[in-house]
Amino acid sequence: MGFNDTEAANAAKAELRMQQALATSHVERDDYIDTAPAEPLTKKDINRMAWRSLALQASFNYERMQAGGWLYTILPALRKIHKNPEDLKNSAQMHMEFINVHPFDVTFLSGLVLAMEQSKEKISTIRAVKVALMGPLGGIGDAMFWLTWLPICAGIGAALALEGSLFGPVVFLLLFNALHFGLRFGLAHYGYRAGLGAISALKANTKKISHAASIVGMTVIGALVASYVRLSTPLEIHAGKAKIALQADVLDKLMPNLLPLLFTFLMFALMKKGYSPVKLIGVTVLFGLAGKLFGFL
Amino acid sequence: MLFEALLIALLAGVAGVDLFDGLTHMHRPVVIGPLVGLILGDVQTGLLVGGTLELVWMGMVPLAGAQPPNVVIGGIIGTAFAILTKAEPTVAIGVAVPFSIAVQGCITLLFTAFSPMMHKCDEMVKRGNWRGIEWVNYLGMITLFVFYFVMAFLPIYFGAEAAGAAVQKVPKWVLDGLSVAGGMMPAIGFALLMKIMLKTNYIAYFIMGFVAVTYLKLPILAVALGALAIAMADYFNQNRAQPQAARNVEVDDGI
Repeated sequence: MGFNDTEAANAAKAELRMQQALATSHVERDDYIDTAPAEPLTKKDINRMAWRSLALQASFNYERMQAGGWLYTILPALRKIHKNPEDLKNSAQMHMEFINVHPFDVTFLSGLVLAMEQSKEKISTIRAVKVALMGPLGGIGDAMFWLTWLPICAGIGAALALEGSLFGPVVFLLLFNALHFGLRFGLAHYGYRAGLGAISALKANTKKISHAASIVGMTVIGALVASYVRLSTPLEIHAGKAKIALQADVLDKLMPNLLPLLFTFLMFALMKKGYSPVKLIGVTVLFGLAGKLFGFL
Repeated sequence: MLFEALLIALLAGVAGVDLFDGLTHMHRPVVIGPLVGLILGDVQTGLLVGGTLELVWMGMVPLAGAQPPNVVIGGIIGTAFAILTKAEPTVAIGVAVPFSIAVQGCITLLFTAFSPMMHKCDEMVKRGNWRGIEWVNYLGMITLFVFYFVMAFLPIYFGAEAAGAAVQKVPKWVLDGLSVAGGMMPAIGFALLMKIMLKTNYIAYFIMGFVAVTYLKLPILAVALGALAIAMADYFNQNRAQPQAARNVEVDDGI
């Protein structure tokens, strides 16, 4: 999903998304009949949009992804901006086109788009901005939430829960949603206020934020592998009368957590070869069963 | 049992919607586990199973087109069965995973079946039927709710006793094997995250995190904060370096 992609790869993806958007387009004219800028939206309008963005994937489907939820998100604001019914229909028609944006930082784009609608930009300009930002927003969203913030919160929550503490789920929910809702509402207002100026700021910062998130994410994953992947062997080596426990006397002396590390890299290598997570779960279960049956685990 | 099964199904419906809409992440096993435990009167087991399942699903997020096994049904069924059959938390994984894979398949079908609604939406826009657009979205969420409700209710109401009896009959090495596999399974999620993130220049940070826990025995939060400090230093150093680079370019242009 555009994570750490090169500029060329991003451009190619944007081109593809533009085609997908145009393939589902029913827009009849490119400019609005009423071109006078609309009254600015209030803080309340933007907050309402941010709340509704929680339903971005409500009508998710494989033809247009989040188009229905996207229109749902910005619909009240659009109706306030476009007093001319034909303009409103034309605008909504464009917003029913294919869109696939990250569900966590979508409000940056919806705020920005509403600023453009409010100043009655051309439809094709607004579409171009939507298409151009899907990739970078997807990359940042993945890096910040899926790869970094969720593993950190879940790691802390699960550790507490495994100790039998009710703080596990509570701390998890509070931590995760503090950032989640903070960004959702913060980005909605920022996107609307900054308008088109926000695009250059986003472009300049995409790489840097993804990079910073990757540093934290990768460190935490290294820590999680050592903490939570459990694998050891009861095998013993008999050399004459001496008995050497493979795990305690050899592997742990070499490096604790060696087997979990090796197993994680095996999974990583198989995944790179195209094994799906489901297949790998199957392999792991078979390995566990075989290990117990033959006694090497 | 009917009352408990209905309550759990209700919870599954809400969590299923939260997975796609709402995203508060109350649908994660670490939260679902104790909630199911509360319904079935055993919060402690719920916490343990929830924590265990959370680790299995930690890296399994919708990344790069690979749809992971469904986390909601995994958490619900896994915890409910562990409590009802008094099985080990790690054995619960073996029960939960087949259900969650099947449900993920159904979700894919559901998302395919919803495609024609988009053409209905086009018609609604043409007629200015804004209520209709909103209801298509509400309908999507209601469909998800009902789907998860049924998917959680049926196996728990009809399957719990049978599963309990079945667990009694299963040979010990199978249960132990499932338990061992459960301990290894978090590796799959981490591998999924690494597949996206592990570029050569990030290997150093992976090593650092691994060493911090293996040898220094630091808790996760400490490791995360340390990494945050490094990331911040890196971020602001870049910011400081950049104006300089920009000036150099200008000089080059001038010449």
